[in-house]
Amino acid sequence: MRMFRRALVALGLAGLIAAVLRARGSGGVPPQDGGWRELSGPEFE
Amino acid sequence: MRIGVLGAGAVGTRLARQLVSSPDVTSVVLRDEQADRVAAVAESLGSPAVVDRGGYDDPLDVDAVVLAGPAGTHVRSAQTFLARRVPVVSVSDSVADIRGLLDLDLEARERGVPIVVGAGFAPGLSCVLARHGAARFDQVDEIHVARSGTGGPACARPHHLALAGSAIDWRDGGWVERPGGSGRELCWFPDPIGGQDCYRAALADALLLVPAFAGVQRVTARMAATRRDRLTARLPMLWPTHPEGGPGALRVEVRGRRGSRRDIVVLGAMDRPAVAAGAVAAVAARLAASGELARSGAAGLAEQVDPVAFLAELAPRGVRAAVFHGEPAAPIA
Repeated sequence: MRMFRRALVALGLAGLIAAVLRARGSGGVPPQDGGWRELSGPEFE
Repeated sequence: MRIGVLGAGAVGTRLARQLVSSPDVTSVVLRDEQADRVAAVAESLGSPAVVDRGGYDDPLDVDAVVLAGPAGTHVRSAQTFLARRVPVVSVSDSVADIRGLLDLDLEARERGVPIVVGAGFAPGLSCVLARHGAARFDQVDEIHVARSGTGGPACARPHHLALAGSAIDWRDGGWVERPGGSGRELCWFPDPIGGQDCYRAALADALLLVPAFAGVQRVTARMAATRRDRLTARLPMLWPTHPEGGPGALRVEVRGRRGSRRDIVVLGAMDRPAVAAGAVAAVAARLAASGELARSGAAGLAEQVDPVAFLAELAPRGVRAAVFHGEPAAPIA
């Protein structure tokens, strides 16, 4: 019974930590080249 | 021309302001369920704007009507004006509204009346940009839309719930429903919005883009959100939204073929969604009232307008589109 409780607590803690890490997230990789340019000219190229 | 505006929220107010400043619009008839609010808006706009005390479903003597009221009211209002052969422009981005409005297509065609569906930021400007990007291709294979930000509170509430709904994607010739909040993708929007995580959500862009591009294989729509937004999407909004909405952005990626060559074009725009939606709806209303739309019936802007002419009308109103251009990476020293 004690083992079962410990396993439940361990699983709960692992789930909690995973949820916090997932909610916190991490940054993405910025583009390595290129950029935005406003469309211009009569054809908005 | 006389234009009716039903709803004086963040988008309706901006739209009315755009119409009042248009030289060929002689009168803007405003209607809203909140009498104080609509009176204040009309007073701030001056003489071309007048208040009408009717309900959303009551008839109105105008050349075109823009539905900018709360989601859920657009289909009944459209039916009222369709029966009187008044062109309709709807700014709703609600999936239920857009499905209901598209169901009016046959009746609208028979009556020769245009119904512009989803004439806002996204869908709306997203449809115009998709059509503009598609001009570079012989065949469009994929369209992927991502949006960031919301308009006023009436826009923010459904978007909060959208992450908890089902996303509607078009994949290999069929509709696929995916859980909202899944499919995280880092999307880069025009500056200063930059990179944001975007997720699937109950968005209506695909419903309007698929009929506009014959043979398209994939159409998806995502919205920018945080992981916290995903967790709280099923709960009521805990904090009041900004009355005017914050800055937002749009990114439309079109993939296709020209001859034997496959290519990608990425177009975008950055603006306050309520401001951009007001400008888009104002231009669409003028085109609808003057009979300059490409066809009658219910459809999105991708089917009803010439994108270059539309962007040319939007630019002086402050809504400017951009293109993402790749450059060779600098050599590593």
